[in-house]
Amino acid sequence: MSMEDYDYLFKIVLIGNAGVGKTCLVRRFTQGLFPPGQGATIGVDFMIKTVEIKGEKVKLQIWDTAGQERFRSITQSYYRSANALILTYDITCEDSFRCLPEWLREIEQYANNQVVTILVGNKIDLAEKREVLRQRAEDFAEAQSMLYLETSAKESDNVEKLFLDLACELIREAKQNKLDNNDTAPMPGEGKTISYLSCCSLN
Amino acid sequence: MAAEDLPSEFDVVILGTGLAESVVAAACSRVGQRVLHLDRKSYYAANWASFTFNGLLTWIQQHHESQPEEVQDWSSLLQEGEELIYLSTSDSASISNLQVFCFTSEEDEEEEAQSPDPPNTTEEETVVDDEDAVKETPETESADSKDEETKEKPEESADEEEAGQASHLEGEEPKADKPCPSTAQSQSEATRKKISYAQLVKEGRRFNIDLVSKLMYSRGSLVDLLIKSNVSRYAEFKNVTRILTYRHGNVEQVPCSRADVFASRQLSVVEKRKLMRFLTSCLEETEEQHAYNGRPYLEYLRDQQLGDNLQHFLLHSIAMVTEDTPTEVGLTSTRHFLRCLGRYGNTPFLFPVYGLGEIPQCFCRMCAVFGGIYCLRHSVHCLLVDKDTNRCKAVIDSRGQRISCSHFVVEDSYVAGERKKVATPTRFLSRAVLITDASVLPSDSDQQVSMVTVPPIAAGSPAVKMVELCPSTMTCMPGTYLVHLTCQSVGSAFEDLSPVVTRMFHTPESHDQEKCPSVLWCLYFNMADGSEAEVEGHDLPSNMYLCSGPDGGLGHDHAIRQAELIFQKILPEDDFCPPAPNPEDIIYDGENTSPSAGEEERGGTEERQEGEEEEEEEEEEKQNLQTEE
Repeated sequence: MSMEDYDYLFKIVLIGNAGVGKTCLVRRFTQGLFPPGQGATIGVDFMIKTVEIKGEKVKLQIWDTAGQERFRSITQSYYRSANALILTYDITCEDSFRCLPEWLREIEQYANNQVVTILVGNKIDLAEKREVLRQRAEDFAEAQSMLYLETSAKESDNVEKLFLDLACELIREAKQNKLDNNDTAPMPGEGKTISYLSCCSLN
Repeated sequence: MAAEDLPSEFDVVILGTGLAESVVAAACSRVGQRVLHLDRKSYYAANWASFTFNGLLTWIQQHHESQPEEVQDWSSLLQEGEELIYLSTSDSASISNLQVFCFTSEEDEEEEAQSPDPPNTTEEETVVDDEDAVKETPETESADSKDEETKEKPEESADEEEAGQASHLEGEEPKADKPCPSTAQSQSEATRKKISYAQLVKEGRRFNIDLVSKLMYSRGSLVDLLIKSNVSRYAEFKNVTRILTYRHGNVEQVPCSRADVFASRQLSVVEKRKLMRFLTSCLEETEEQHAYNGRPYLEYLRDQQLGDNLQHFLLHSIAMVTEDTPTEVGLTSTRHFLRCLGRYGNTPFLFPVYGLGEIPQCFCRMCAVFGGIYCLRHSVHCLLVDKDTNRCKAVIDSRGQRISCSHFVVEDSYVAGERKKVATPTRFLSRAVLITDASVLPSDSDQQVSMVTVPPIAAGSPAVKMVELCPSTMTCMPGTYLVHLTCQSVGSAFEDLSPVVTRMFHTPESHDQEKCPSVLWCLYFNMADGSEAEVEGHDLPSNMYLCSGPDGGLGHDHAIRQAELIFQKILPEDDFCPPAPNPEDIIYDGENTSPSAGEEERGGTEERQEGEEEEEEEEEEKQNLQTEE
C-alpha cells in the first residue's frame, strides 16, 4: 500500500494542561508557524512531518488533544497506539507543573508500556515569568525516568530538537526490539485499521 | 476538575457518552453545530464502556452502593414562561443482579513463571506463597496437562499440533488463521502456573472488559459508518477468526466460508455439496421460500434434506435464530451473514482492539476534532422548557449554570420513568464475563477470536451468544481468555448463564470437566435491553431526543439507526457523518518556513488513497463472488 515512502512511522501524542502550548509546538514544528491561527485546528486530527535521520526517512504522525484536556476528558483511545508521549507544561504556570502526576497516572493506565515519554517545559521565552525552576523539573523527570527538555514554540527554541531527539530514540528502540525479537506481548498496532484489513485473507 | 466554567450557549447539548449519543455528537459537530457533550461518570461510553480489571472492580463496587445525588432546587433560575423538568439523579436501574465469583487462589501458588513483560509493570515483587495455598486438585491436574500441551506448541508444525490435540478435542480444526508465533510463546510460558487473583489485579490494566458484548458485522451499519466518516482511523480491528458452536457437549467449528467448507473434516462430501448448494440458493429469493413465510425456518431447513449437522449450523450459528423463528426472518439473517463473509476475513465479524468501549470514544474524538466540547463527571440536573412551544430552551448543569441549547439529546437512563412511554415491560439482558485459562477449542494458534453459539441447553432456556477473546485483542492478559456470554433474560443472569458456564468450563461446581478451560474469575449481571426504547413520543419537550442503552443484538445496527434518526430530526438537510478530511491532504495557507532537517509533507495523497479504496472495493466484490458462488 502507501507504506513505501518512509522507513519508520511513529505516532507521537501530546498531553498536558490546556494552554501550555501543545498546539503551538506541533504547528511550529510541522509548519514553522507561530502563533497558529485560531480555528485552524478545527477538523485537523493530526499533523504529519517526514524527517530524515541518518539517511532513514521517518514519518512522524503528531496528535493533539482536540481540546478534550480542557475539562479533563481525554478519551483513553487517544493514548492507545502512541509510540511516544510529549507531556507538556508551562514553565510560567506552577499549576500546569503540579498536574503532571495526574497526567502520569493516565499514561500508566492507558498508554502502552513501551511508550517513550518526554517532559517538556514550554514558554522559555517568558523567562522573567518563570514559576518552575529548571532543576525541579529535571529532578521530577529523572525520578520518573523521562527525558526533559525546555522549549519555546514562539522562538522556535529546541522545538526541532524535541521532535528529532524523539525520533532518534524511537528508531533506537525499534531497532533494539527487532534485535531482541522479544515482542512477546502483543504490541499495540498489531490490529489493523479497517482500510488496511486484508480483504484477501480468504484461503 | 477544571475550575473553568463551560461556555453558556450551544446548538446541541448531549448527555451520556454511549454509542448512539456519541455518533450523534460526531455527526452534529462534523457539520458545524456547536456541541456540548457531557457524562455524569468519570469514564466514557456509559453502559458501552470497557474497564481494566481494577476499573471493573470499582464499577461493581459502585453499583453495590449506588448513591442518588441530592436533588437541588433550581427554580430560582426560571425565567418568564418557563417550567422545569428534573432529570433522574440515579442510574442504578439499568444494571442489576451483580454477582462475582473468584475461583482462583488469592495469592500466587508458587514462584510463578514471570510473564515476559517490560520491567515497568513487573517491578513490584509478587507475593510468593507456599505449595499449600488454596487450590483444588482437579484444577491442578488440568493445569498440568495443559502444561504439556503448551510446551510443545511453538516448535511443532500445525499438522502435528492437530494430531497432538486430538485426544483433547472432538471436532477437527480446519486450518485457521495464521498463528502468531511470538504471542504463542508468551502464552505457553504464562499458562504453566495457574494465574492467581493477585496476578489478575497486578496485570489488571491489560484487561479491557466490555459491559456489552457485540461484534461488528463487516457489512453492518457501524463498519459502513466508520469507513464513511473516517472515524475508523482512531481504532484498530481484528478479525473474528472462527465461528464455533456447542453441540452434544462438545465445541465444534462451524464451516461458514467456502474455504472452511472444503477444509472441514467433520462434514462428509455429500454434506459439503449440500451445504454449498444451500448457501448459494438462499441468496436469491425463490417461490419455494415464499411458501414458507410465517412458518418456522427450522421446517424449511428440514425440508431441504440437509441432515442434522447442517441444520444445526445453519439455524444456530449462521442465521443465529431459534427453532420457532419464521423462515423469512431466518433467511434474512442467513443472507446478512453470508454477505458479510470475506470482506475482511473468513468470518463475517470484526472486533476492535482494546474492546468495544473504544468505539463510542472514537466518535467523541471526531466530535472534539470539529470543535465539540467534552466534560466528564458533569451532568445536567434539569431542563428549562418554554411552556408555549414545549421546547427545551436551556439546561441547568450540575453546577447550576444555565446553558442554552436548540436541541437536547439524552441517554434514556437520565430520564425519570414516569415521563417515558414504556410500551412493554422492560426487558433485560443476562450477561456473564469470565476470565479463563484456556480456549474452549484449543487450536494451533492460541490467538483465536471466536464467536460461539450455544443453543438452548434445555427447553425454556435462552440461546446464548458467547464471544471468546484472546490476549492479542488487548482485552486480557497473556495466559488468559476473556469470555463474554449474553442472552435475553429469562431469570437472573446467574440463573440463565451459570448452567452454560458449568457445562462448558471447569468451575468448582462442574463435575468431570478437567479438560475444559478453568474459570479464574467471573461476573454475572443483568442490563436493561435498550432495543424497545423509542427516540420520540415521550412526555418530553419536542426538541429533546432519547437514546437507548445497549440492545441485545449481536451487531450495532440499533444504535446506529437511532443516531441517524436523531441526527435527521435535528438537521434534516445535512449529510450524516461525511468523511473527515485526511490530515495528510490538508494544505495550510500561510508561509511555510519549514526547517531544514525535515521535508514538509502536504497534499497529493488524496488521489492515491481514493484509487486504493476503489481497488479494494473491487477486490471485495470479487471476494464476495468467490464466497457466495
